Formats: sequence, C-alpha cells, structure tokens
Amino acid sequence: MILGFVPGTGALHRLHPFTGLSLAGAVVVLAFALPAPGGAIGLSAALAVLGLWSRLPRVLRTAAVFAAPFWLFLSLIHVVFGDDPTRALTVGGQITAILLGFLLVLASVHPGRLVDALLEKRVPFSMAYLFAATLQAVPRLQARAGIILDAQRCRGLPVNGPPWRRARAVVPLTIPLVLGALAEVDQRAIALESRGVGTPARRTPLAPPEDSALDRSIRVSLLILSAGVVLIRVIG
Amino acid sequence: MSIQFESLSFRYPGSGSEALRGVSAGIDAGVVTLVTGMLGAGCSTLLLVAAGLAPRVTGGDRQGVVRTLGHDPESQEGHHALAGRVGLLLPTPWTQLSGMSYTVRDEVAFGPANLGWKRDQIADAVDQMMALMRVEDLAQRDPRTLSGGELQRVMFAAVAAMDPDVFLLDEPTIELDPRGARLVYDLLPQLAEDKTVVIASTDLDRAVEVTGRALLLDRGRLVADGDPREVLGSASAASMGCSTTIAGIMRSAGLEPVYPLTVHAALRRLGR
Repeated sequence: MILGFVPGTGALHRLHPFTGLSLAGAVVVLAFALPAPGGAIGLSAALAVLGLWSRLPRVLRTAAVFAAPFWLFLSLIHVVFGDDPTRALTVGGQITAILLGFLLVLASVHPGRLVDALLEKRVPFSMAYLFAATLQAVPRLQARAGIILDAQRCRGLPVNGPPWRRARAVVPLTIPLVLGALAEVDQRAIALESRGVGTPARRTPLAPPEDSALDRSIRVSLLILSAGVVLIRVIG
Repeated sequence: MSIQFESLSFRYPGSGSEALRGVSAGIDAGVVTLVTGMLGAGCSTLLLVAAGLAPRVTGGDRQGVVRTLGHDPESQEGHHALAGRVGLLLPTPWTQLSGMSYTVRDEVAFGPANLGWKRDQIADAVDQMMALMRVEDLAQRDPRTLSGGELQRVMFAAVAAMDPDVFLLDEPTIELDPRGARLVYDLLPQLAEDKTVVIASTDLDRAVEVTGRALLLDRGRLVADGDPREVLGSASAASMGCSTTIAGIMRSAGLEPVYPLTVHAALRRLGR
C-alpha cells in the first residue's frame, strides 16, 4: 500500500508542492459541492486518470483498498437494506475522491521540497518541518509496523492467512508500535538537534521548487473553480 | 579547554541510579580522546551532556559544571552559541536521519543548510566530506535503503560537513566493516590536529592506535584518565574487560601489568 511519497517524475511530481496541496483542498470542496452523485463520481474518475497519467497506479490500488469497505457498508445500508442507491453513490464517490486526492498528493509531494517551499515563504523551519513530518507520520508507522510484524513472524507468530488470523496479529503489534513511535520522538529530537535544527540561523532552502506560471495558474483555476461551484450551489 | 566537566553527575528521568557520578575532566584539541567503559558506564551520556542534548532533550537532572567551548551547553545562550560548533555522531545512524531527504547528498547537506550557509558553501562542504568518507557513489541513493555501514559513513560525512569545532563520536565504527573502520580511524588524528575529537568506543583494538588519551568510566565514575597505554593496560582495565585483545592475552599468559595493548608493543615487551 502506498501511504507516502513515491519517487517519480510524473505530472504531479513536477508540480510545486503548494499546487499539490491546493489540489487536495479543492478536491474536498468539490466532492461536496458538485452535483450528486455524478459530481463526486466524475471527480474520482478524473483523479484516477490524473493518477495514471502521473504514473502512480499503485496509489489507485491503495485508494481502492481503503474505499472498498465504505462502498460495501454503503451498499448494505442504502441498497440492500434501504432504497436509496443515489445516497450510496454520492457518499461513496465523495469518500473515494477525497481518499484519491490526499493519497495522490502524499505520493507526489516530496517532504523536503515542501519544507523548502514553505521556507521560501518565510515559514519558520520548525513549523515547516512539523507540517511535512505530519504528512510522513502514516508511512513511518506503516514501515515500523512492517518491521515489528517481521520480528514477530521470526518468533513464530502467524501474521498471514485468513482475516481472523490477521486480526489476532494486530493485538501484539499495537503496544510495540505505540511505544516505538513514542521512543522515536525522543530519537528524532536528538537527531534534529545534532543536525543543527533549532539554531538561530535561518535555514537555507537547498533546492527551492520553482513556482512556475503554470503552477500559479493551476492554483488560481482551482480556487476559482471551487469558489464558483460553491457559489452556484449556494445560490441554486 | 574545549570541554570541561567539574563534579558532573547526571540522572535520566525515572532512573534509580546516576548515569554519571562526579566526573571531572578537561578535554582539548590536539589528540584523539577515547572515552570507554563497560556497557552502562556512562560514555554516551558524557557525550550527550557535552553536546547539550542531556538533559535539554533527553530530560533528567544534571549537577556540576559543564563548559563546552566556554559555554554551558544546557543554557539557552550556550545552545545558540554552540549551534553547529559541536558535531555529535550517534551510534545508531538510522536514528540520526533527518527524514526530509530522499538522496544521500541532500541528507549530508541537511546540517549545513540548517546553519544558514550559502548554497555554494554547502555544496563545497558536501562534496568534500562525501569524498573524504568515500560515499560519492551513494549520492543519489535514498538514505533509507543504505546498509548500516554505508549509513554510518554517510552520517559521519553529514556531521563533518557542518565543520564543527568539536567532534563527539559515539561508537563511530560500530556498523563498519574493517576497511570502513580503518578509514575512520585514519581520519581521526588528522581531524584532531585542529579540532577537539572525542570518541566513545568499545572497539579498543583499533581505537588505541589513534588515541592520545583515554578516559575510563565505571558505572558513571571516572576511574582513570591519562595515556591509553597506562589506562587501558592497567590490571583494573583488563579485569573489567576494557582493554585490547592483546592485553587480554598477555594477562591470561600471566604477564605483569602494565599490559601491552598492541602486537608491536607485545613483541617489544617480550623482547622480540
């Protein structure tokens, strides 16, 4: 599963980090503001095309895995036990679009570039780092969980197989995962302090991403589109 | 003195015993200073205190006086004054990664960039230190995919690229193969010519070849300080297991202390 940055040179990777973040924000607004259910479904389809074009097909798979349980429960509630399939399509489409938007941005926005972009805008390094580190929290936990599972597998704990067996493996995973994450905070603090973070000097952005005219026009277009759709929705 | 400890004691939060007890010593540039002892002796803690990370980051309670380059590293004033002037290498290089870099080159540049250097200056320092540590071939690799040994050399380059006045190196060769360790140990005396270099190490067979002074810690207490041949060749160091393989063999063979630490010294002692 892809829950973090994936190195690449696709269309999304080439965008300025702020453009990627704007896209994620616009997707949230559009998913709720576009006419239901076609708007959210269409938005999901458009994002899927964008993901393929940006050579991030694994992100689509990850989004599908996360969205599938929602679609299942929505179908049960609104179709099998209810009579409102439109509602199922609307909510399912909204969830899928938002998931896709965030996962695509996570996969394409390099945290280091994001920090450099924020530093260019005079954001203090501590805040920029915190923001970028937050985006990496899930992939870090995912990697840590993988290491713990490997260690437990080495000691004979069955972690593969049918869902109930996998569910049982979650219990012994939880405590080392949480405690390890807490210990990592201390380690990270020592690491950053030893690398000059927290000094009075203003950090030099190593390779500040170029904020091209295309990036700026995409951001303005997303803003106009989002505001326009919301306005039409409110007026209409 | 670059580093001065006076009656230094330190206790980690929640710990029942002190990690350091009344340590007094001064360390200066000119020779490589070795700090050694059994596990839990307090060697790493001594470096963390000198760097100002203990107790500021680790928490805990420090008693006594610590001056690093003339500043108390625990104070805010000292923290700012020492920024970038003290380079600490951790024994677990993977925990020292910035988490913000997807190439080794960016990782090495992370520290100098935090010091606000100009880009040209950063690039020069990065190139120089990567060449010195022979990691140029790794420049475009993702640091998270490196082996422990590669990562330790990269982190050494990353610390050295900040051009600190004081190097505090905690087990700098623990992940390295013999060739990598030799590279580091050959470099240390050159560094120590105009920098203060302190290594905490249990790799004594190699370390004694480059160190000019040894501090021996035992459960937080400084029990010996001086010429490595005397400190590590003593009966007490050998009985603690804080000596070289050769010294251990000589002790087992019934030789009287002070034990020779190297093959050459042993041959001289045996008259061959």
